Amino acid sequence: MPEPEKEKAATSAPPVEAPTPPAPAPPKAVSAPEEAGSQYFFGEPLVGFDPSEITGSLIVIEGMDGSGRSTQIALLQEWLESEGFAVQTSGLRRSNLVGRDIDELLAKNAVTRLTLALMYATDFFDQIEHRILPALRSGTVVLADRYIFTLIARGVVRGINRDYMSGLYAMALRPHLTFWLNVRPETAFAREFRKAQAISYWEAGRDMSLSHDLYWSFIRYQTMIKREFEVMAKRFNFIELDGEASVPAVNKLLRQRIAEQLGIRATKYSPSAALSHLWR
Amino acid sequence: MVQKPARSEPAKSTLPQPGRPVPSRAYPGALIVVEGTDGSGKSTQLYLLKRWLEIGGYRLHFTEWNSSPLVKSATRRGKQRRLLTPTTFSLLHAADFADRCERQIMPLLQGDYLVLADRYIYTAFARDTARGCSPRWLRNLYRFAPIPDITFYFRAPLDVAVNRILSGRPKLKYYEAGMDLGMSYDRAESFRLFQARILEEYDKMVETDNFVVLDGTMPVNKLQKQMRDIVASKIDLKRFAPRAEAAE
Repeated sequence: MPEPEKEKAATSAPPVEAPTPPAPAPPKAVSAPEEAGSQYFFGEPLVGFDPSEITGSLIVIEGMDGSGRSTQIALLQEWLESEGFAVQTSGLRRSNLVGRDIDELLAKNAVTRLTLALMYATDFFDQIEHRILPALRSGTVVLADRYIFTLIARGVVRGINRDYMSGLYAMALRPHLTFWLNVRPETAFAREFRKAQAISYWEAGRDMSLSHDLYWSFIRYQTMIKREFEVMAKRFNFIELDGEASVPAVNKLLRQRIAEQLGIRATKYSPSAALSHLWR
Repeated sequence: MVQKPARSEPAKSTLPQPGRPVPSRAYPGALIVVEGTDGSGKSTQLYLLKRWLEIGGYRLHFTEWNSSPLVKSATRRGKQRRLLTPTTFSLLHAADFADRCERQIMPLLQGDYLVLADRYIYTAFARDTARGCSPRWLRNLYRFAPIPDITFYFRAPLDVAVNRILSGRPKLKYYEAGMDLGMSYDRAESFRLFQARILEEYDKMVETDNFVVLDGTMPVNKLQKQMRDIVASKIDLKRFAPRAEAAE
């Protein structure tokens, strides 16, 4: 039973690395995702999984808090379902394995950046293996509310090596489409504040001691994240959309690209009564 | 003290530069690691080494693999409900190690301590590779770990090690026995097959990672003598001696 599995790993993996270099090891580009990899994975294949069984589509929506991601995902789900597609959503911290543990770690703020990055990676791969892959194998459209890009950016702005972060996610599935809802941090701040009448510790990057002023901390932190996204946008073929445009306008652009991907002919849509409050 | 930043001022960061997740050798302390399969005798030997150093009054800290309370609940849940796959098993242990590394090992090495570790990143390399994880991915995953000053590898023949475990601990746990690999429905047999793979992976690292190989079948006291001699020759123990002595 395990033999073919082992073989697969052995053929895909390079020979064991040369002697561990002493001292500050010059960072060798370890499977920088965009260079190597297959049509399915950014870098290494995922242990014990045959990607040829994928019949569904993985569609990623990225963007900072307040960029309108969740609104758009709710609308897209309704639209796709009305078109007869099975839809599954995923997002950060939703795994059965460690989702709640991360919530606790964040609440206690008693965690270092590397540990947190690795807990998020655990959460991510648990969802890939137990939720996203099974869904994609059964022909479902998976709408991912954020993906590895947010996680990589968060690590990098906290001083973790970029190659390290992307190597960590080498076995992440390559999305069929990656949208980036780009907004200015100032707009995001206003929207988030309106929504919750507060800005959370982590959204403002308070752990980074950027400023004691909450507003400035938020702006600086989100600007750093945004810069990382700009770096990644080209490397990972992001479809950049203006997140400052109206909800219907952004939704229309999303629907056009997704319809193309899924072979849907008509892209006409207006939300049901349940979602009409989002349509402004 | 707190200055309001000007609107155009670029965000300044005091964080370590990218390229060195953790500055690997910029510390005065020393790190001694023991590795080997289950039942190789490594924990007994490290305990005796620790006692020797403690009695001598040296500044030291002892750390074990998988001991951080931070991710304990997640690991327990994952194991009980068998949610773990080779990838998530590996990541969860890496998270646990990162926590220990950033909050204990690194600060203590910076603070000029002798750090003794019962199992280290090589355990993950051997075990997770045996589970099918990519060695290249694993090497990247643990790149933040400081390189040990000495890595003792306690080598015992498979039968000796496996029998030590099976005779003393008949109830093998699911992941411990490598049941998730589906090699055998018999736990003891699965354990044996899994340990054989791990042993093979350890052996591969002897050269690449400068292991000091010790024979785990030797009498305990003789082995300990060897270990102490090597430590004394490779590490300047005086540096970790009690401060009062230095004043003499």
